[in-house]
Amino acid sequence: MSEVLINLLVTLIKVFVVLGVFLGVGAYLTWFERKLAGHIQGRLGPKLVGPFGLLQPLADGLKLLTKESVIPDRADKVVYYLAVVLALAPAIMLFSVIPFGPSFSLFGVEIKPIVADVNIAVLLVFAFGSLLVYGTIFSGWASNSKYAFIGSLRKAAVIIGYEVVLGFSVLGVILLAGTMSTTGIVQAQIERGVWFIVYQPVAFILYLFCMLAESGRVPFDIQEAEAELVTGYHVEYGGMRFGVFPLAEWYLNVMALSAIAVVLFLGGWSGPNIFGPLSPYLWFLIKMFGLVFFVLWLHWTLPRFQAKDITEIGWKIMLPLAILNVVITAFVYYFI
Amino acid sequence: MPWMNRVSAERIKYEFKDVEVEYTEHTTNLHVKKEKLIDLLNFLKNKEGYRHFIDFFCIDFPDKKERFQGVYILYNPDENERVIVKTWAKDGKLPSVEKLWACAKWAEREAYDMFGVEFEGHENLRRMFMWEGYEYFPLRKDFPLQGFPEVELPSLTEVMHGRTDPPSHDYELLHTKIATLEDLERTEKARLRKKAQLVLNWGPLHPGTHGTIWFLFDLDGENIVQCDVILGQLHRGMEKIAENLHYFQFLPYTDRMDYISAICNELAYVNAVEKLLGVEVPEKAKYIRTMFAELQRINSHLLWLGTGALDLGALTVFLYAFREREKIMDIIEGNAGYRLTSAFLRIGGVHYDLAEGTLDVVKAFIKDFPERLKEYHQLLTRNRIWLRRTKDVGIITREDVFNYGLTGPVARGSGVPYDIRKLEPYAAYDEVDFDVPVGEVGDVYDRYLVRMEEMVQSLRIIEQCVSKLEKLPKSAPYINKEHPAVMAPKEEVFKDLEDMVKNFRIVVHGENAPPGEVYASGENPRGELGFYIYSTGGSKPYRLRIRSGALYNLSIFPKLIEGRTIADAIALLGSLDPVVGETDR
Repeated sequence: MSEVLINLLVTLIKVFVVLGVFLGVGAYLTWFERKLAGHIQGRLGPKLVGPFGLLQPLADGLKLLTKESVIPDRADKVVYYLAVVLALAPAIMLFSVIPFGPSFSLFGVEIKPIVADVNIAVLLVFAFGSLLVYGTIFSGWASNSKYAFIGSLRKAAVIIGYEVVLGFSVLGVILLAGTMSTTGIVQAQIERGVWFIVYQPVAFILYLFCMLAESGRVPFDIQEAEAELVTGYHVEYGGMRFGVFPLAEWYLNVMALSAIAVVLFLGGWSGPNIFGPLSPYLWFLIKMFGLVFFVLWLHWTLPRFQAKDITEIGWKIMLPLAILNVVITAFVYYFI
Repeated sequence: MPWMNRVSAERIKYEFKDVEVEYTEHTTNLHVKKEKLIDLLNFLKNKEGYRHFIDFFCIDFPDKKERFQGVYILYNPDENERVIVKTWAKDGKLPSVEKLWACAKWAEREAYDMFGVEFEGHENLRRMFMWEGYEYFPLRKDFPLQGFPEVELPSLTEVMHGRTDPPSHDYELLHTKIATLEDLERTEKARLRKKAQLVLNWGPLHPGTHGTIWFLFDLDGENIVQCDVILGQLHRGMEKIAENLHYFQFLPYTDRMDYISAICNELAYVNAVEKLLGVEVPEKAKYIRTMFAELQRINSHLLWLGTGALDLGALTVFLYAFREREKIMDIIEGNAGYRLTSAFLRIGGVHYDLAEGTLDVVKAFIKDFPERLKEYHQLLTRNRIWLRRTKDVGIITREDVFNYGLTGPVARGSGVPYDIRKLEPYAAYDEVDFDVPVGEVGDVYDRYLVRMEEMVQSLRIIEQCVSKLEKLPKSAPYINKEHPAVMAPKEEVFKDLEDMVKNFRIVVHGENAPPGEVYASGENPRGELGFYIYSTGGSKPYRLRIRSGALYNLSIFPKLIEGRTIADAIALLGSLDPVVGETDR
């Protein structure tokens, strides 16, 4: 068999594994979130469908799939459906540049547990993150509803502001690692024996804020804002079309961005070898879900900002901080 | 609260020669001609210090030549005195006093809506509760209670399968008018002339409005350029209903006004009726009333806290607040038999004696609740996001408190210590010790703090009530059944012939009230809930006016929200805390 075919096969398998695992986990994250929210709020959360309510996500999925599809009058149908795709696709694509462990060989073939090990991986992350905004804008525009429209505009304003901060906060790490490849960044941390969070604590905190803002989590969930905008930009969607938006935004996006945070700041898969051969993967997942848990925890504790505050904080406080951080990092790295 | 003193009344008589001063048993009335009305009100407001607008409404006398009488109730915060000003409309017209008190706009619109009295100089005289194009004036005496059945509304079965003979089910074919979509559209157009980019219909069914209020926001980006409120989705014509019921029969209706603080409503109503009928209330009943009213206040404030925080995105506080509400609900249910609309009070006392073990449960609640309050404070009070959302939002000045007739925590948040419990104590409030918290700035945050502190004070009152009730003997009367207008408790009715006869008489013929008028109010969680009863004798009020604190508190909303964003609108609305059952009645 030729090299190309084997590579294709391996990549296909990797794609299916990542898709299967993360869509499944994304669905089950709803269960986890509801359980967590329940316990934070002094109640039990889902418990009737299956043991510990474990079949609840399946029941929800079934319900969403069998719901009647209602499209608002005078909606732009093409854009209306396109928005669903545009919301989901970039969120999934983000997983393609995440390395889950070191490379290993199987049947004489070297396999890297990353779908696309490209040398501009971090750039791709930004690109996909920015693409997410189209899903929001399109859904708000196509729905022919004022609430959806206002919600989508709010989200757009937030994403534009925080994309810039995100880029600058990550720049420091890229300077330190000297590469934009995600695998390279993890390797750099392993070689030095230090996680980049030690060198870049400010950048890490900024990144966390941006992560919350990009994924629309409390305290930055203004585009949903149940009380004012009745869930904002996807208010006119029903059934699974509605289900896709929270899945993409609240779960897939949060997971992907947490995974990237782990890669950039928390040393990727590195960790003491205590789980045997699966150790790197488990470490990666532990760190990643630690961050996911943190996001969910905030969601059920804090109130939300208002739109103008969020953009104000983004442009006036975070961006100067991020730029300052980059400049200082560059100076220190160059001279020392 | 005393009424206008004789010295001021003499002064006014001297100033305005043709003003008649009438001292009734419960009120002091100034009668003035329509031409002199504005001058007199101006004098009262600026010279005599009657700055605080309490209420305006009309009374219909179909036999009189002028027919409609306008009634203003004003309050003097310096002297703690009230006065009623009455004037007759000429040709169905009255001058508008919106220049003097801004909230009169809404009160006048309501009078226009219900009586058809026109107000000269009103900026936008529209219907308040009914829709544009409705041709009747429901509170006029010639409007029948059941309305005019004139529209045929087919049932869904009929729409699908056509009308059958005999009809598919037994119901009236003709109904009173209901608003059509065109009517609503006309109503909406009449309220707001579009100035900016788009008009957002916020409501009538919207999670942020806490009920069925319909806000119209004229938006420029996210900024609200102008705003109006369309009320009336929950309008049931309580005042009309009251005119057609015996006094005791109206009591359960008051539950359905501010349905979150049912017992406080009952207390305010019972208070007014007892004044009119001259009923003395036994001490035990007074304390039971006070205790339950305060429990209800905590209950209501918890709901405000939970939903207010929910609106601002703090999802967890909501459930924490409801956990405590549940305990209060249980206490109320254990005593009244109902949770929400409890109908627990009776004219002359309370319906049941305290249930066994109530005081122990209440004591446990008192012990536990401060801890919970601390929890809420931990989650919100010093939270930076919470501060950012609430500080300096919707500042209400002291002048506006008077101009807009604001009462309750909204007035106290702006530093006006207007609390009926202190100023005109009813039930056992004069015998318990408590403080009235006031704010400084008058923003959303201050109102939040005031309400939080009020819960602490309520707790203090409850504590004193419990220790008093514990000392009272079990056999102490909880209803003053000696009075001829008070029904005896159920248990005794079946044993005692005289009680049975008396109850029978009251149920059939009603209480026999003396002619006269009375205005009494209670300090509700949502502001002053006043009942003005005009009685011409007999068992039914000639006119019963409900002064809703929530309505007047809401009337400042369009002013406060101008130039702010939608996100502020919910913070602001949460802090004004209207309940639609009471604003619409």
